[in-house]
Order: sequence, then structure tokens, then C-alpha cells
Amino acid sequence: MKRLSKSLNILILGGTGFTGPEQVEYAIGRGHQVTLLNRNRRRPDFFKGRVEQLIGDLNGDVSALKGKTFDVVIDNPTTAPAWVKNAAQYLKGNTKHYIFISTVSVYENDKTANADERAATTPMPSEVTDPYTVLPKDFGKYYGALKSASEREVEKHYPGINTVIRPGLIVGPLDTSDRFTYWPYRIDKGGEVLAPGTGNDPVQIIDARDLAEWTIRVAENKTLGTYNATGPLTPLTMAQMLSGIKAITTSGAQFTWVPESFLKEQKVEAWTNMPVWTPDSTGDVGSSRRSIAKAVAAGLTFRTLAVTAKDTLEYNKTRSAAELQSQAEGKRFGLSAQREAEVLAAWKVKQASTK
Amino acid sequence: MSTSRRTFLKVSAAAGGAVGLAALPQFGFANEALGNESRAVERARAPLNILILGGTGFTGPEQVEYATERGHKVTLINRNKTRPDFFKGRVEQLVGDLNADMSALKGRKFDVVIDNPTTHPGWVRNVAQYMKGNVGHYIFISTISVYSDNSKAWLDETDKLSTMPEGIDPFTVPIADARKYYGAMKTVSEGEVAKNYPDIHTIIRPGLIVGKFDVTDRFTYWPYRIDEGGEVLAPGTGNDIVQFIDSRDLAEWTIRVAENKTFGVYNATGPEKPLTMAETLYGIKAVTTAGAQFTWVPAEFLTEQKITGWRHMTVWVAPRPNNVGFSQRSIARALAKGLTFRTLAVTAKDTLDWNKTRPPEDLKKLAEGAVGGISLQREAEVLAAWKAKQASAKSS
Repeated sequence: MKRLSKSLNILILGGTGFTGPEQVEYAIGRGHQVTLLNRNRRRPDFFKGRVEQLIGDLNGDVSALKGKTFDVVIDNPTTAPAWVKNAAQYLKGNTKHYIFISTVSVYENDKTANADERAATTPMPSEVTDPYTVLPKDFGKYYGALKSASEREVEKHYPGINTVIRPGLIVGPLDTSDRFTYWPYRIDKGGEVLAPGTGNDPVQIIDARDLAEWTIRVAENKTLGTYNATGPLTPLTMAQMLSGIKAITTSGAQFTWVPESFLKEQKVEAWTNMPVWTPDSTGDVGSSRRSIAKAVAAGLTFRTLAVTAKDTLEYNKTRSAAELQSQAEGKRFGLSAQREAEVLAAWKVKQASTK
Repeated sequence: MSTSRRTFLKVSAAAGGAVGLAALPQFGFANEALGNESRAVERARAPLNILILGGTGFTGPEQVEYATERGHKVTLINRNKTRPDFFKGRVEQLVGDLNADMSALKGRKFDVVIDNPTTHPGWVRNVAQYMKGNVGHYIFISTISVYSDNSKAWLDETDKLSTMPEGIDPFTVPIADARKYYGAMKTVSEGEVAKNYPDIHTIIRPGLIVGKFDVTDRFTYWPYRIDEGGEVLAPGTGNDIVQFIDSRDLAEWTIRVAENKTFGVYNATGPEKPLTMAETLYGIKAVTTAGAQFTWVPAEFLTEQKITGWRHMTVWVAPRPNNVGFSQRSIARALAKGLTFRTLAVTAKDTLDWNKTRPPEDLKKLAEGAVGGISLQREAEVLAAWKAKQASAKSS
């Protein structure tokens, strides 16, 4: 890895979750000095001896930041504007660059294909009278609106020195959501695999490492502005993605592509049960067709799908027994083998009866 | 070549582990992780004294690498022309010409002979002058082209074989004409092996062999083309089944066949389970960042444009009633005897990396589609013609 002549003093809020650790590794590798601020709970002392560890809670006391100055702040965990405001008590005027990791979920809708960063973001619903006092239990409900408000809060405290990165579906090692991992896991098991739609629907994903490394380069280059960040560079279809994953296994999975209408009948949901997939029929043609031209022009690069798939598969094999069981049961994303077999059987019965 | 690279990768991997103090689990983190793998090769229980006929072409070098890594003693006999002194100091090199003087074998004994180059039964007979009675096991690399009929899918090794045309003596066919009767000449060669080495021979019938050192571009075209990016002409519906085998998988299994004294006749191609043309091309796309976009064009239109399967659209054969078996040969017997496969991603990545090291004249031929595949220009013409046809079909 290239070490830079100019070392930056970087504060990472969070940093021990999914993308954060990749930012830390890459930043250290490039010769930067890294400070973490988090509750030191999720992975306690994960980077012990390699970073400066500050303890703080964005939802409570972050006074550990008092009197500190940084070249760059990378804000990973913020889901509500109050968190930005809380950190700004200490960081406003004490950082030269504030990078906020937002989300493509800020967009008000996905009705337009290839829309860029100028598309309208989500307004705060009228029932939310004070966006600063929304309780964490309601964060999920107002996710897009709160992230949009957080972006505005960043602009308020750090005008002219901020970057807003809006990632799409982040995938790869350390992801505990199974939102991509289901496919490498399932395909590596082999046999007949239920695959959604025609195979021609486009998908967008980004390897956490590509996102993290670009974020550090954004810091190094002081790239300001708002950027969608997903991939790959040119369109990738669902069939190409699943075949690409098959190519890193020797299990010889056989795909049975089942139409969307039948999946609906069977209550097999896009995105949750058939992860990554967002069919066009919902009208959300933009959800897997966000323009990334601006980020690519600013140096966003991609690993190959084969590397992402292989590393995800190897990571998956190291996960805890509890997580693997939850995955096998299709608890969060994906389907259990049993449910998949039922749907495939039902599909064959239907095909036989139409013949 | 591969040895120094393997060593380098091993050393750098170890160094990374030692100095990294990494809190993160270390996975691939680099494209290299997919290919050029530094696998530990186990040593065989009993070292064999192996004679390899040929050994410096395409699959041969992989046999030599694997056999020497497993602790076997390897002797090569060839003209020392294709790659002179390629394995100097690592093997015993005999000089001989299967089409002429093989007397360097006189008085020699081997545990195993692996016959790679034979395309003429006279060559088997030539070698047998010296090897008959002096070898414990004769392995003949034949071809699936020995089968006379491809009209049925998933047939096994008991399927009917090609025969020489009436009135032609295979032993007197000039070597220059051997290609003309390729399947039949290989069939007769198999018979000659059985005659000279009864009960101690193995016949391996590979399908399309792919990977580094392949100068035919019959697979290499696709990694090369897909890595160029842009709109890629792809043949048929994407659902046609294809078969091929990485030369390393074939070579390594051949050595294990020697170690286990596995006799009999075996088809040897892959992968284990059906793979479609679309899965092949998409799998290759997955090892690149070029983001190729595929336009699948029906077989009939390709025929109109004089784009033929296998030659121009490599790996693929246009589906016709008389050729469904061509890429659907049963490999159940070889699987039962330990044939294993690398992933497609590894094969594709290593082929692509190797292709970048080829001499300019080979790369020029590849770009011109002179051997396998088609040129970018011809591809663009066909794609344009296809779009014109689609547009006119819509407007009429």
C-alpha cells in the first residue's frame, strides 16, 4: 500500500462496525494517524495500540472531544441530526474537513433511473415536530428523513468543508446483515438455487473496502461535495452477479429463475428474501440505477465481483454459530433451504399444470 | 515462471500475517488471491519414475510441475524444440522424435509413461519398440473427438468411436494428413496402446483444454475480450451447456491416475455440474473490472453473418440435433476416480494474467481473431447488423 508524504490526523466516529474497520486499516496503511470515538462496546479494543481510542456516545456524552483538533472527521454512525449537533459542540471550528457517511435512502423516491445527487431528498414528515428529539426506537421509521436532516445539519456546522457520501448496498466481509452474503453462502452450498425474475434486472452493490478506501482518499484529496457511492462502474444484472458468485465456487449450483409474479404469490419478497434484487415492477427503477458518475470522476474504484464474493464467502465461514444458524433459517435476509425447496416445488407443480 | 511467483506469494502472505497485527480477518484483499494460488502440494507416498512424451507444450508443463512437486522423478522425451531446455536441471531430458528416431529410450525402464503428443498410431508403435515390457503403466492422452456421433447428451465412455474411411491404412497416412482424420487416428492410436500395453493402460479423453500456455485462443478469447470491456457479442441464448477443463486440473489428475494406477478409459472435461454459456461469460466478467455488457445474438443470425461456433464464438457450438453431445459428455467415471476442478474464477483470472505475458505476435493474432475468436472490428460489424435487423423487424 502506498504511504503518503502528508499524514493526516483523522477522527473516525464509530469505526468498529462494518465499513469503519476497513477505513482504519487503510488509513493506518497509508500512514495516517487515527483516533476513534465510540462506546468501545461493539468490538472493545479492536484496534488497541494502533489508534487513539476515545470513549463517547453520540447519543450522550462526547466531551472526550473537548479541546481536540483534527484534519478530518469521518462520521459513520450518525442516523439523526442530534448526533451531528452533539459532536459539533466540540468539533465545529476544530476540523478542516467533515465527511458524513449518509445513504442513498435519503432520496425521496426511486422513480427515476440514473438520477444523480441533485434528486430531491426526503423531507421530515409533518408528524415529527422536532427532528432533534426523535427517539432511537423511531430511527428506522424515519431513516431517510433523518439522514437527510443529518446531511443538512452537517452543512450547517461545516459549511464549505464537508463531504456527503451516499452509499448504496454495502457488502463484503464483516457484514452481519446477510443482504449480500446470502448469495455466496447459498450458491456455495450447491444444488438447485431459487433465483428471482428473469436475471436481467440490474443490481448495485459496493464492497465495504472500496467504499472505505475511497473515503480515505476523499480525505487525502479534500474532495468536497455530495456523492452517490455504489457500484459497479457499468450495469451488472442479477444473472451476472449470481453467475459471478458461482464462478468462485466449485459447488456447481444450478439456478432456477422464477418469475416475480409467482414469487409474490409465494410471499417471497424482493430485497429481503431474494437479497440485492429490486425488480422494476414496483416503479422503483432508480433503486438499482443510481448515477455514480460524480464519484467515479472523483476516484471511486472497484474490486472485482469475484474478489468480493470470495472474501465474503470466506468471512461467512468464520461467523459465530448463532449468526450462521440465523442465516440458515433465513431469519433476516434470504430464505431457509426448506422454504426455498417448497417454493421450487410449487413452481414446478405450476409449470407442469400449465403444460 | 510459476515457481518463483508461488514462492513470492507465500513469502508476502507470511510477511503480511507477521507485521499486520491486523484486527481484521485477512482474506483475499487482492486480486491475486483468486489465481496464481500458492497451494501446498502434498508429496506422493511412493515416488514414481515417470517418462513424459512431449511435456513442453500446453498440458505437459503442468504435469511436470505437479509431478516434481509431488516428489516424482521425471524424464522428458521430445525434440527439444517447442521450448528448448524448459525444465533444465529439474528433469532428465531425452531427445527424440516420435515421427522418427526414438532410440534414446533403448534399454530404459519406467514406472509410468504419459503419452501427450500422439496423433498417429505409428507413433505409439514407434515408442512401443522400446517401451513394451519396460513400463508398468501407459497413460495415453486421447480426446473426446474419438466419438463418432454427438447426437445424444451425457453419453459415457462406451459410446461408439470413429473409424478410418474405407481403404485407408492409418499407419501409412502421412503425418501431414493426420489432422484430416483426427478422431479416427486418435481412435486407432487408443487401440494400438491397448494392443501393446494390455491391462496396464489408461486412456484419458479430454474435452476442450483451457488455461495458460494455450495458443489456440479457444478459451482465452473470452477473458481477453471481456477484459477489454464495452459491448461484447455473445452467442445464442446463453442457456447452451458448455464443457472445458483447466489444463492444470487435467494434468494434476493425470499424475494422480499414475500414482493410483487407475486403469481404464475416462472422459475428462468439466465442470462437475452443468455450466451454461451465460454463466461462463458472466463468471469471466466477475474477474474483471471492465464491466463488459453482453449482447446475445441468436445462432441463426450468427450463421447468416458467417460467424461460426467454436472458431469465432469459442467454447460454444451452435445447438443442432447432431451435436448436443459435443459439450455434454458424461464425466461420472473420472469423477469417481478423483478428477477435481479449480473454480472458473481461478481459471479465468490466470488465463487473463498469462495472456498479458504473451509475445506481441500472439497478441496480434488474438486481436485479429486469426486463430480463435473474432476481431473487434468484425464484432462491431456483426453487432451493428444485428441492431439494424432488430430495428427493421420493429418498424415493419
